[in-house]
Amino acid sequence: MLKLVHVLSVAAVALSLATAALVAEGTHSAGSGQAEQPRVTFLRDVAPILNKVGCTAGACHGAAKGKNGFKLSLRGYDPQFDYEALLYDLAGRRFNRADPGRSLMLAKPSQEVAHGGGRRFAKDSDYYKTIYNWIAQGVPYGDPAKETVAELRAEPKEIFMTRPGETASLKVVVRYQDDQTRDVTRETTIESNVPDVASVESDTSVIRGERVGEATLLVRYQGTFGAIPVTVLNPKPGFAWKPLPQFNYIDRLVDAKLERLKIQPSPVTDDVTFFRRLSLDLTGRLPSPESVRALLDDPTPSRVKRAKTIDKLIASPEYVDHWTVKWGDLLQSSRKYLGEKGAYEFQQWIRDAIASNRPYDKLVRELLTARGSSYDNPAANYFRVTREARPAMEKTTQVFLGVRMVCAQCHDHPFERWTQNQYYQMSAFFSAVGIRAGYEVGEEIVFDRRAEYEMKHPKDGRVMKPQFMLASSVAPVPDGPQRRDALAEWLTSKDNPFFARAIANRMWSYFVGKGIIDPVDDIRASNPPSNPALLEALTKDFVAHGFDLRSLMRTIVSSRAYQASIVTNEWNANDRDNFSHAIPRRLSAEELMDGVSSAAGARARFPEVPEDTAASQLVDPHIGREGFLDVFGRPPRESSCECERRSDFSLPQALNLVNGRTISDAVADPNGRVARLVLSGKSDEAMVDELYLAALSRLPTQEERQRGVTYLSNAAKGSRAQDLLWALLNSQAFLYIY
Amino acid sequence: MLNLPGHRGCNCEGPTRRELLRIGSIGMMGLSLPHFFFWRDQAHAGAASKYAGARGWESAKSVVMIFLQGGPSHIDIWDPKPDAPSNIRGEFKPIKTRIPGTWIGEHMPMMAQHLDKATLIRSMSYTPNGLFNHTAAIYQMLTGYPPDKVSPSGQLEPPSPADFPTAGSQVSKLKPPTDPVLPFVELPRPLQESGIIGKGGSAGFLGKAYDPYRMYQDPAKPVKLEDLSLRKDIPPERLKDRFELLKGVNGSMPDLQKALKDYAVDEYYGKAYDLVLSGKARDAMDLEKEPPDMRERYGMHTFGQSLLMARRLIEAGTKFVQVNWPSVANGDPEISAWDTHAANFRPLKNLHCPKLDRGLSALLEDLDQRGLLKETLVVAVGEFGRSPRLGVSTSGNSNSPDGRDHWPYCYSAVVAGAGIARGSQYGESDATASSPKEKPVHPADLLATVYFALGLDPDMEIRNHLNQPRELVKGTPVMGLWS
Repeated sequence: MLKLVHVLSVAAVALSLATAALVAEGTHSAGSGQAEQPRVTFLRDVAPILNKVGCTAGACHGAAKGKNGFKLSLRGYDPQFDYEALLYDLAGRRFNRADPGRSLMLAKPSQEVAHGGGRRFAKDSDYYKTIYNWIAQGVPYGDPAKETVAELRAEPKEIFMTRPGETASLKVVVRYQDDQTRDVTRETTIESNVPDVASVESDTSVIRGERVGEATLLVRYQGTFGAIPVTVLNPKPGFAWKPLPQFNYIDRLVDAKLERLKIQPSPVTDDVTFFRRLSLDLTGRLPSPESVRALLDDPTPSRVKRAKTIDKLIASPEYVDHWTVKWGDLLQSSRKYLGEKGAYEFQQWIRDAIASNRPYDKLVRELLTARGSSYDNPAANYFRVTREARPAMEKTTQVFLGVRMVCAQCHDHPFERWTQNQYYQMSAFFSAVGIRAGYEVGEEIVFDRRAEYEMKHPKDGRVMKPQFMLASSVAPVPDGPQRRDALAEWLTSKDNPFFARAIANRMWSYFVGKGIIDPVDDIRASNPPSNPALLEALTKDFVAHGFDLRSLMRTIVSSRAYQASIVTNEWNANDRDNFSHAIPRRLSAEELMDGVSSAAGARARFPEVPEDTAASQLVDPHIGREGFLDVFGRPPRESSCECERRSDFSLPQALNLVNGRTISDAVADPNGRVARLVLSGKSDEAMVDELYLAALSRLPTQEERQRGVTYLSNAAKGSRAQDLLWALLNSQAFLYIY
Repeated sequence: MLNLPGHRGCNCEGPTRRELLRIGSIGMMGLSLPHFFFWRDQAHAGAASKYAGARGWESAKSVVMIFLQGGPSHIDIWDPKPDAPSNIRGEFKPIKTRIPGTWIGEHMPMMAQHLDKATLIRSMSYTPNGLFNHTAAIYQMLTGYPPDKVSPSGQLEPPSPADFPTAGSQVSKLKPPTDPVLPFVELPRPLQESGIIGKGGSAGFLGKAYDPYRMYQDPAKPVKLEDLSLRKDIPPERLKDRFELLKGVNGSMPDLQKALKDYAVDEYYGKAYDLVLSGKARDAMDLEKEPPDMRERYGMHTFGQSLLMARRLIEAGTKFVQVNWPSVANGDPEISAWDTHAANFRPLKNLHCPKLDRGLSALLEDLDQRGLLKETLVVAVGEFGRSPRLGVSTSGNSNSPDGRDHWPYCYSAVVAGAGIARGSQYGESDATASSPKEKPVHPADLLATVYFALGLDPDMEIRNHLNQPRELVKGTPVMGLWS
């Protein structure tokens, strides 16, 4: 296959490089017979064709190493580079000015000579003619000051379809720097993020609604892009919006969208179900049987009871355990990077921050500006995980801004505004961070290097000064060794549009199972929020409350949207994006383990830690490795990606639950709940009630009680009660938050 | 947003598990329940095929796919070119094999003696569509389709529910085992390139129920299999009682069951029940049951013991065992990855070849002696070969002067069993092992051959997550292997 390159005709008469370069500068002249042709430039006319027909695609010449010896920039993000590649590679043989039709740049894509990428356009196509004329005119580049796209406008800005099967057409117009405009609909790349909701007919700008739902079209043209939301409504007749009580602003904003989409939300779930859900979400633990009974016996109105419960759980020590795990994951607190003592100290630091409800902006500032001994100032461990400037930047932007910068390391981000320069300018904020050995075993000191700390661009070694990725009022940006202090100020500022929004979105996802932007740590134009107004309101509220995480959580769990039932109606059964009903979520690894222990009244046992240590209190994922917790998706903390924690269900998990030691041992524990119940001599009814309360946090129905009693009375009570508890712990009502 | 094909609630596929449970205990006497679960899936396969009756069609009951991730150097191992210039032929000498006229690299002496049971394919070849890296090539080899989604950085995305299913998943759905055993086992660990784990090795749009069973343990060390063995204090009758109770608990919360219907929890519980009750899977994975000299014969290392476990699993009825080379695809060759950019000869000689030579020859010999080779298809292949010229960059990676870069244009594979010609060579490479001289075999053709041998028509229509029709694989079976 490689040999194809050599099949290339050498017949093409080379246009000398010098000539090509000279005429590039705005020579309008054309060869004989071309005088009537409009002026064609690379920037305005040719580069868009290369993108449209796929030359610059990642699978073709846009690949990092090009294709068959010819390399273009990925999706044409660097037209200057592409122009030079066309001009200078192969000693200019791509162009034959005397006979443009014999130029390789036309002969290959039209498959006149063999082309590994097949035929990209026909000889009688407009694209062929444009390139033909461009070559005939002497391959001019064009004037970047005038011919760069300044703005892309796609119409309509939003597409509404009343039913699947409808179509819509997009029109895309660009304005250049010189204020000229052009309809580029044909050359624009249009992609749908959910093609089974809205599809784009290939090579057209026709959008077809496939099924009820929402999608976003990403429209790209020469480094500019736009996102067009598409909504395909349910055509079923008979929808009548039935308003439900709104508990706070969240419900107003959720309802506004639901009503528009003709989705009727589900009402709130019952008190006991709510209590279990809330307890797991806020503290990672099941409610105790006593607290469920107390709730059932409490005669105060439901709303009051719920508010009281929320406050009580947020103030509980288990709340601190639970959120220490979450932040330990995100900050990758692990002995792999920090050593045993380091991981312990870092965990304690996180615990303190959560226990004292440290304002989120302050917490992040402390991490980013941490200096000194990893033992005296455990926040300094933040830098020990990544160690180098670039990974520190990537992690900081992903965790705290929800932005993935990693693509921009090698090239400008093709779908985003982030450029390769910005990648290094942002990394430069961390380039002065130094780490050296401390005085005690395992101790390290994080310090600011005083010399040789500049970030260099990998291509040409030029110094990249620190620069914020978004315009900022902080100017000039300090570039001394303590530059990261300025980054911390900018990043955590109220005015940073990403910072508060990213955490508001992340927190929301922890309670409803899906971010308003999802995945939560991949915020970009092509991944828009499902409910922008809701995200905006949560963000503002969070900032207005001084970055108070508990207040944010309280607001979320107080909403009707959070408290909704999993039971759906005919209008919201298929909705999974707009928070119209609750969606069951599997308990996390730690929640399952601690749930089994508390339901069975048995102690969890981990090596090297004090007895009665809960799974949610473990220092890091090195404790109890390859056991129950890992089977159920505990993250190894090797990346700060939210995706590291797995919540799916699999065969090994089923095997473990059915037959593994964790549940089997717990139900048979000689000091466990079953053993104690049997010894207490309680009635069979009381035993069944107790087991249901302990495992499922609710009382059995009359029928369930009867079935349990029958089972218990049938044979040896002890083993029968174990069986019942085993069945409860294997039930879907135990495994899922619902 | 789960959309599991095969869960459309259609009666034509036989009763669903839930319906069976509803039938109650009358139909669940003793240990008869297991067969119901496996029987349900079986209705899919067996449609008439244009290949029916062809030589080799349906000749294999099971498959051992030995996937040498990383890209082993074909010219040093399987396809020596002693007459090529020194910067191509490398340091190793060729040795004679039991295939007349076929020589292989000197560090494969045991395989030289056992090639009489296999066919050596020397004309594996493809031209990569864009990407030159491991994961794209692995994905193509094991799913039969090029990856459709490459992130802007050129890296693949992690496994996704929209991925094309890996071969073992297809087989475990289309040709489920008749015995209560694990249908598809991947040993000793998932595929991996850098941080991307399991791409090309998941059930993708078939749904997680068809993912491989992964042990996450090293077969060369004592393994814990408590999940798979029935506990002493829980006799089968008691487990059955527990499941009856469980059915009652779940059944009394219909709203939750409805909300969870796409999560396949019931299906997993059904399979877990079968596996635990039968105990066959656990026994198959218990290498302590093998005599020490048999274990030694395979080699007391992760790869060798994985192959031995594969044989035990096949014997027990598992349909598809994939043994991955235990190193990360793009790992350090000095530790044992085949990705020998920076060092080629020393690690091949001291680390890789001895393990491969011992393990693969042991498997062929063992299967043959047990009469299993007749109905077991063994394939040993990587995602590509390595550049015939030393020290050049073909993938854009840097290579040491004695290193070899990725080379998909020509490489080798060993296939054996299921009636494939014994002691034969298929295809031939050119003077520098750079491209096939004849009979090129695309990886999709090799995969089509695997399906063909199992009696699965490569052109069979399957439905993806968007319910669009797709071919099982776009390849042509290499029927010449059976001549």
